[in-house]
Amino acid sequence: MSKNRSRITHLPLARWLTIEFSLIVILSLLWTIESRLAGYSAFVGGLIFVIPNAYFAHRMYRFEGARNAHRMVGNMFRAESIKIALTAVFFAAVFILMEPVHVPALLFTFAVMVMMSAVLRFLIRPQPQR
Amino acid sequence: MEMVFIAAAIIIGLGALATGIGFGLLGGKLLESTARQPEMANQLQTKTFIMAGLLDAVPMIGVGIAMYLIFVVAG
Repeated sequence: MSKNRSRITHLPLARWLTIEFSLIVILSLLWTIESRLAGYSAFVGGLIFVIPNAYFAHRMYRFEGARNAHRMVGNMFRAESIKIALTAVFFAAVFILMEPVHVPALLFTFAVMVMMSAVLRFLIRPQPQR
Repeated sequence: MEMVFIAAAIIIGLGALATGIGFGLLGGKLLESTARQPEMANQLQTKTFIMAGLLDAVPMIGVGIAMYLIFVVAG
């Protein structure tokens, strides 16, 4: 058996989530300069992205290895569907239940987190483990 | 007012369609390449995870804007 075959690559999810939460806090503090409501809305906007994304990452890495490839792909499809549905539900809940809400701060932070998450996936390289 | 709902429906519908096509291609390629080189399965899974993040970035923003249109602009 080759040495490469026994290696399993894992994304450093804990570090990744820590960076995302730090980014949310920084963006919220920046929006707090404008108003307290804007800072709170920015924090909620960041959470709307991070919570479904964490679920997606957890669900996608439930199965690993070539023997579980079909389960891996099935889980990926389900995780993506649930992620989009959760995002829509969270947005609806915020717009209905949270009154008042600073919409530009909410949507801006959400958009920045989406873009930063795509960049972070390139910057944080997977770590080979035994 | 109905135009707002139609706009939101178009945003969500086209976003879902594009994401579905993209994830179908991505999942198909993952299965195909895992069958060709099973020893690369874990690395391919990580690369798929990275590409999935890029794939659903724009539709996610679309969902947010559509929810804003439905619940704030029209509501």
